Amino acid sequence: MSERVGIDIGGTFTDMVLMDGEGGVFTVKVPSTPDDYSRGIAEGLAAELAAREIPADGIAELIHGTTVATNAILEKRGARTGLLTTEGFRDVLEIRRLRMPRLYDLRWTKPPALAARADRLEVPERIDHKGRVLTALDEAAAGAAIDRLLASGVEAVAISLINAYANGAHEERLAEMVRARAPDLPLCISSEILPEIKEYERTSTVVVNAYILPVVSRYLRRLREALDALSTTAPLKIMQSSGGAMGVEAARARPIHIIESGPAAGVVGAAELAAKLGRKDVLTFDMGGTTAKAAIIEDGAYDRVGELDVGAGINFAARLLKGGGYHVGVPAIDIAEVGAGGGSLVRIDAGGSLAVGPESAGAVPGPVSYDQGGETATVTDANVVLGFVNPDRLVGGELMLNAEKGREAIRRQVANPLGAGLDEAAWGIHQVANAAMARALRAVSSERGRDPRRFALAVFGGNGPVHAVTLARSLDIKEIIVPPAAGVFSALGLLFPETEHHHVRTLKQGLDGTDPAGLSDAFGTLEATGREGLESEGFAASAMEFERFADLCYRGENAALTVPVGGAGDVRAEMAESFAAEHERTFGYRSDDEVVELVNVRIVARGRSDTPRVPQALAITPRTDIAAEAGRRRPVYFGPEVGRIEVPVITRDAISADGREGPFIVEEYDSTTVVPPGCRARAAEWGALVIDVDPERGE
Amino acid sequence: MAEQFDLADPRAGRARDPFTLEVVKNALASIADEMAATIQRTARSFVVKEALDYSTALFDGTGRLIAQGTCLPLHMGAMPHAILAMQNHFGDDMRPGDIYVSNDPWDGSTHLPDVVCVKPIFLAGKLVGFAAALAHQTDIGGRVAGGNASDSTEIYQEGLRLPPIRLYENGEPCETVFRIIARNVRVPETVVGDIRSEVSACMIGERQLLDLIDRHGLDEFEALCTELLDYTERFTRAEVAKLPDGVYRFTDYIDDDGIDPDRITFQVAITVAGEEMVIDFAGTSPQVRGAINSVYPFTASAAWACVRAILDLDIPNNAGFFRPIKVVTPPRSIVDCAPPSPVAARGLAGFRIADTVMGALAQIRPDMVPASGGNSPDAGVSLGGYDETGKPFVYLEFLVGSWGGGPWRDGMDACTGIIVNYANTPAELVESEQPLIVERYEYIADSAGTGEWRGGLALERHLRFTGKEGIIQVRSDRRKVAPYGLEGGSDGQPSNVTITRASGADEQMPSKFLTTIREGDVIRLRLASGGGHGDPLARPPAAVLADVVDEKITPAFAAEAYGVVLTGSPPTVDATATKLQRGAIRGRTSSGPYS
Repeated sequence: MSERVGIDIGGTFTDMVLMDGEGGVFTVKVPSTPDDYSRGIAEGLAAELAAREIPADGIAELIHGTTVATNAILEKRGARTGLLTTEGFRDVLEIRRLRMPRLYDLRWTKPPALAARADRLEVPERIDHKGRVLTALDEAAAGAAIDRLLASGVEAVAISLINAYANGAHEERLAEMVRARAPDLPLCISSEILPEIKEYERTSTVVVNAYILPVVSRYLRRLREALDALSTTAPLKIMQSSGGAMGVEAARARPIHIIESGPAAGVVGAAELAAKLGRKDVLTFDMGGTTAKAAIIEDGAYDRVGELDVGAGINFAARLLKGGGYHVGVPAIDIAEVGAGGGSLVRIDAGGSLAVGPESAGAVPGPVSYDQGGETATVTDANVVLGFVNPDRLVGGELMLNAEKGREAIRRQVANPLGAGLDEAAWGIHQVANAAMARALRAVSSERGRDPRRFALAVFGGNGPVHAVTLARSLDIKEIIVPPAAGVFSALGLLFPETEHHHVRTLKQGLDGTDPAGLSDAFGTLEATGREGLESEGFAASAMEFERFADLCYRGENAALTVPVGGAGDVRAEMAESFAAEHERTFGYRSDDEVVELVNVRIVARGRSDTPRVPQALAITPRTDIAAEAGRRRPVYFGPEVGRIEVPVITRDAISADGREGPFIVEEYDSTTVVPPGCRARAAEWGALVIDVDPERGE
Repeated sequence: MAEQFDLADPRAGRARDPFTLEVVKNALASIADEMAATIQRTARSFVVKEALDYSTALFDGTGRLIAQGTCLPLHMGAMPHAILAMQNHFGDDMRPGDIYVSNDPWDGSTHLPDVVCVKPIFLAGKLVGFAAALAHQTDIGGRVAGGNASDSTEIYQEGLRLPPIRLYENGEPCETVFRIIARNVRVPETVVGDIRSEVSACMIGERQLLDLIDRHGLDEFEALCTELLDYTERFTRAEVAKLPDGVYRFTDYIDDDGIDPDRITFQVAITVAGEEMVIDFAGTSPQVRGAINSVYPFTASAAWACVRAILDLDIPNNAGFFRPIKVVTPPRSIVDCAPPSPVAARGLAGFRIADTVMGALAQIRPDMVPASGGNSPDAGVSLGGYDETGKPFVYLEFLVGSWGGGPWRDGMDACTGIIVNYANTPAELVESEQPLIVERYEYIADSAGTGEWRGGLALERHLRFTGKEGIIQVRSDRRKVAPYGLEGGSDGQPSNVTITRASGADEQMPSKFLTTIREGDVIRLRLASGGGHGDPLARPPAAVLADVVDEKITPAFAAEAYGVVLTGSPPTVDATATKLQRGAIRGRTSSGPYS
């Protein structure tokens, strides 16, 4: 009864990590089953348990990272959703904030509203920004609107009224009226899901929740049933975008919280690993086939944002120019994503410059050298040419590579047009991909006033450790951490988070004028809600923890900064000071004569498990069924200064704590790590590798 | 005036390795975006933080634009003008720790509310670059709150006018300047806060640019900048060369300047010859008495922004882009006005310049350019007054409508245009910070220009004033001359503004006005809709049905404008009746607009 299982679903593979009570870890990749992902999970898990002779009741807990919520939005497979809103505001959801995510773009098309205009109906009522009723809810008209909506066949209903963040009474009354008529229909109201100011953002959030609720709920029910069929009664938890886990029932009710489930797990894993290695400041870099993602861990904690733009695509500018996707106002680990990965296509633009991505060869047809029909050169093809990636076959896979085909594509498509040699062209592609991916790292560091040079870089995802050193060099980063099981690290990260629930409420008032007792009440009310949620997931009062936060800004500022709120009594002065310090750190100045506004209060309710989530020691059982090509050498091109040299290919266990001088290549079941000349790698706790980048060059 | 603004650089670029060039190109763009993100997060005013009416840019040591943040397209060509002004004024007297400021429309800015800050960047005593930021201030003093009135008749009425002066010296703020600014504007916290956010952006730009130079070495960096501009020029020329040679003309109008009743003409002839383009505004009306005149850099900016939209979007934002595209303007015209012309509401001229240029570009790229829309912020509203404690308030918002239709899709309902990237202001924010209640913000059914591809719907926004008394100023247009349709699509519907007084009396307002409002008065703004594209009778009946189901058009309008007859509930298309109805409309209009 001690195995904990992390399950991370990707488009091609489902990664699973099993960990026993002593930190013994076993990793496995099984093919995903997109028709019904729960089938692939259940079958893969059953096979693994059988192979390792673990009884089903030996599983203590399963934690799952899933893309089912994201995919329901991206593929428009959610419920037909009806929306009830205030008279005069039928089109808030469709007007959005008007903004386009890319300048000058005549071809950009606004994503269609998730509730069609025909399914958005108005009710006469009005509440003002202080929560006072200006116009009473017209129940007769509301009843007629609800009847019309239900008769039209909507599969879920969202309710979002103007200023409901200040007073949810009208929303609650409408909800009662809907329930009286259709008790089983999925129903979400904005004052419960997100009592925050700004009507488009709140409406979009509640509509997205209603839209994906039936799909996510059905999937999670089936997964639970499939697990029941394996005779495991172990609790199933779902990873949230915020970095906490939540019980499966909570996830079914508020699926907006699990949208960035998988990427969040990798960051959580990196934070725990960093703590284990005694590093406080780490940038994480997760490179897959289509995108690269970056996040920041500072003082041991990852950064969170208060919103996601789902489906905004893989456009860096989306961080600045919102509006590309569907706004969801929930806490999420701040992860920047760019459209560059191993499968990114390479092209020469009209000005004669080399460009990489955002178009990707994806899993099908894949890079040219995979010989599965791909014709356009990709970043992976360049890495094959360089010798960074095994030119004969995919490590850990059955697939044989056709490196010559990849070489030919790069020669024809890049080297010849630019008048460069083959190695030079491949090196160029590798560097241009790094430049694109560095934007994600800069977005979470220097754009936020943090100097990337004082951070260690934790790299994972199948391609991360291939690019780690060259990327680190381009940002003057001196230390790289390659986690254990780097290629399936997100699945490992799933095993670490505690259960968390986040709750928020807008106050929007001057901090000085805020009544301390009222403030304390507001936190108390949020904590009562949090306590209720944790109780329903079986946590005893002694296992509960609450953290208080406040969003503050100088009056008129757009971006409120979130600061922790501690202590009892009148905490306003302390809040003002933490805010001013944070403002100075982020934006370079504080302004003590200005009015500080208290925008939102937030709490995190945390349920601690009985046993520690993070093991003291961690030992990966190496896969023996697919051997890496250790013991060989191959020629690798390290750029014009070094040229092409023969380097040994080794396994991770050939590196000691004393370290080993580059150059060499570490091949493993799930990833490849490139350590160029001038760098040194050593084994660290948990089986991580720490690479010192150019230690001889010094500062 | 156009000739003096030629940014072409005669120095031939060295052929450098394309990989390093790509890396530096991305790094520069990323720095400019970091500057932009800084402003967005720290600015105080709606117009900056929500409407994104600001820009950031980087220049090399000689003053050539090397990168611009993804901000307001209309500022793109205007930023080099700001550097030029600072170079003219300070020349060799630029020192480390300086930041310069200006808002003079003929000397660094393009109207008084746009306060531009420029920081020279030094490395070991050598000037190696500039970081610049420009942001539209919510108020700049003058006759009318909001700094955007269209009814001033000389620049001196429009507010505080700062020539290029030092805002920072030796890294210290020049308190005198800050005090003068704070004393001259109605909402000093907001304005000074926004200017501070510009300063923060310049500081961040400086730090990042120096890091980049440090990585590559100064000589290499300077050579790379030259190559980057040459590369951009080559890219632009290759793109222009793909366009068919010829002269393409178009004319559009502004209703009036709010003072004289006459229609104002915007005329353009675009000549495409090989890999170069000339955009000539000969025939455009002389400068007008009202404050909607545009200075040359603003006109050129609007024209360049439109051309960018029909070329490859990967062309970098730098001076190389301007070289093959010349903008020529008649002196003392509404597109190249001379002092002391009033210019506060010159945004309107900019939007119409863009509409006119797009009309000509539609002939060059008929597969790409839609009909005209209401998606330029044609209605600007500013409201000012004093609350019960005597504290001034200023509300400033630019309202954006919908796109014109075609040539391959319907005009997007409610979306910002390509020359601005304005957002709206949430009703809940307006209500929590201003003496206003937003009573309505939605589409108007049956309002879109008709066509095979219909225009976007008109939007309306109703504001109830809850203060005691205020002065409201509206600068709108597209009342007499609606957004144009193309290829047989109808024009959009015109805009309108009425005020329902607390007494219940309705007042029809002109497109541009200034009036006193009192508690309980409701201002009803209706924006113009988008023009249609192609023959409305060729619109697929299924598309007409979908609009009826969504209540974007009524069944009666479907029958009358599109000849599509619907039947039953839920409605379906009656194919036979539709055929008959379309035949009847063709007969009726055989000498009409669709013939």
